[in-house]
Amino acid sequence: MKIVLKAGGMLADYLKPDPVTHAREVEAGEGQTLRQILESIGVPPGHVAMAFVDSNIVHLLYVPKEGEVVTLRPPVQGG
Amino acid sequence: MLKGFGGSSLRVNLRTGQVQRRPLDPAFARAWLGGRGYVCKVLYDEVPRDADPLGPLNRLVVSPGVMSGNFGPTGSKCCFGAVSPLTGAHGDSTVGGHFGPELKFAGYDLIVFEEIAQGPVYLFVDDDRVELRDASKYWGKGTIEAEEMLKHDLGEDFEIAAIGPAGESMVTFACIGHDFGRQAGRCGVGAVMGSKRLKAIAVRGTRSVPIHDLPGLKELTMGVIKRTSTHPNMAPWQKFGTAMFVGWSNEHGVYPTHNFQTTYFEPYAGIDGQPLVDKLLVSNKACSGCWMNCGKYARVTLPEKPTIHVEGPEYETGSLCGGNCGFDKIEEVAYVNWVCDQTGIDTMSGGGFVAFGMECYEKGFITREQLEGHELRWGSVDDFEHFVDMIVHRRGIGDWFARGIVYAAGQIGHDSIRFTAQVKGQGMSGYDGRGAPAMLLSYMTADIGAHHNRSWTITMDEDLGKAVIKGKAKVVVYLQHIRPFFDVVSCCRLFWGEVDVTVEEHIEAIRLMTGWSDFTLEEAMRLSDRLWNLNRAHFLERNGGPGRKHDYPPARFYEEAVPSGPGKGARLTMEDLDVMLDEYYAARGWSRDGNPSREILEDLGLPETATRLETLDLLGPLMAPLPEVRGERYKPKAF
Repeated sequence: MKIVLKAGGMLADYLKPDPVTHAREVEAGEGQTLRQILESIGVPPGHVAMAFVDSNIVHLLYVPKEGEVVTLRPPVQGG
Repeated sequence: MLKGFGGSSLRVNLRTGQVQRRPLDPAFARAWLGGRGYVCKVLYDEVPRDADPLGPLNRLVVSPGVMSGNFGPTGSKCCFGAVSPLTGAHGDSTVGGHFGPELKFAGYDLIVFEEIAQGPVYLFVDDDRVELRDASKYWGKGTIEAEEMLKHDLGEDFEIAAIGPAGESMVTFACIGHDFGRQAGRCGVGAVMGSKRLKAIAVRGTRSVPIHDLPGLKELTMGVIKRTSTHPNMAPWQKFGTAMFVGWSNEHGVYPTHNFQTTYFEPYAGIDGQPLVDKLLVSNKACSGCWMNCGKYARVTLPEKPTIHVEGPEYETGSLCGGNCGFDKIEEVAYVNWVCDQTGIDTMSGGGFVAFGMECYEKGFITREQLEGHELRWGSVDDFEHFVDMIVHRRGIGDWFARGIVYAAGQIGHDSIRFTAQVKGQGMSGYDGRGAPAMLLSYMTADIGAHHNRSWTITMDEDLGKAVIKGKAKVVVYLQHIRPFFDVVSCCRLFWGEVDVTVEEHIEAIRLMTGWSDFTLEEAMRLSDRLWNLNRAHFLERNGGPGRKHDYPPARFYEEAVPSGPGKGARLTMEDLDVMLDEYYAARGWSRDGNPSREILEDLGLPETATRLETLDLLGPLMAPLPEVRGERYKPKAF
């Protein structure tokens, strides 16, 4: 199945999304957790502070659904 | 006319009541840029090295930098500085909100307060009309209450910076509050303001700041707004602010818990960003000119407590006044956040110092009798509130803590200094460095003591390996130049770190504001380097050398392993710290003792400082050839 990952900041170095939409469509196996998906495409889960689906926080153990858009956040650097 | 600046400075003698207005010297403006730059220069040049931080010879310096108030990306900040009663050397703290821009609109880039007023006063600034006024009716009022009263009396369009009772009683970690919940929180700048009997500054400005190329600046800024508004990081920031990092920090084994005894607070989900938004949020809140709105204005109702409104808790408060004190409900964290804001103490040092008291109580080092019959238990709002009241009014052992955590540990004894979470007297920020060695190095070497805003490295520690010691110091130097730059020009660093606004875009904005077509990133980073070395010299001149002896954290951070959670087992040794310090000093062009060398000071245009240090036997020989670039062009991946 396909899902869409969106990320900017330091995570863009790893995700390599479209520079305008910040999005990249990726292939995910059925039942794969977000952590497993990230590892499979070379995004270090340790750099993902949190993930969001429809503006709600989801854990790295979350299992995305077909077509879902998951936004990834790096940890705060400015604070 | 100087473009991009208000154009004038004020010098206020609180003893005589005299106020002098002077035009801003263009050469001074270019050399030091404003904000933290002006603060650093004024303090270094004017405060005698033996001056009591809470005495008449200290200065309170207020400065919005070049970007503040201009139509550039996020120019909302204002820097407050003084020789710090916590660290005994240069101190500065930057606040957002609207105060800095308002000062610029009134025409001022710098205010220097001297001496001590005979009674409580506040500074009234209404464009050209500047006068000291009686503040008797505001003295004794809480920070938020005083701001409300002043706005009521003067008008809603005045911006207020005020201290609370903690500042009035010169608690060494008192802050300056503004905009109902934002603070210049660190270094005890509120204590210095209180020592001068200056309750508040009220300012209204109705002018425009002259801009060299307004159409060009507008185009740049609108482009940044348009681009960042759809950035994937923007929506989470708008929804949760910094509070959302409580969970991440726990899961990565760096969250301070029970006075930094461990790095994992099991019930953290109750104090993370989600419950803040779900249970307490009233509205989002923004600083001047900002489209992110990361501030969270909250309403809190706790049994047997007044219903209160507070901005926050932000991450630092959510850690140091959260799990570090054992609070597991967001309402409790928000309430003690408000207690700190209203009394006027820094939630970071305040939370950290109270947590130290809690551990001392747990260990039996302080007693119920010393707490006026109360207790000081983890997670007790009543105990926290009572103990803060003892500190603010300096009753009993509260006076020990009001003088700072190092003094308190000395009075408590039992070798309790070993589990104070501080460096140079400044309470640590909300990250435990045992799980992130470069973060600990950042605390150890920060010019104002253990504060994260100079250098924040945790993802780099993750990237290079949490157990890796070598090779990280250069990154710390790089960050110590790039991050304080935002405090010099007075804009928000979140847009750089979070939504990909580049430093080069900030430099271009400054060119468009000022007309300095030859202004470069190299010049900005060189200023950062100069400020860092000047502050190091200032620290050594006041506290003695060698510098290295001041740069070690308490024993907990190099003797104890983290006992639980994802960071379990993480530990550093004294040898690790020495390896990092050696690398760091070499990268800075200092001696192995941690003293600046003549070579680096002369390279930065500070030959007089070199001579001064030489006279005091505080100049060190280079331990390695002077680095061609000291971190400023070393930009590691992910920064």
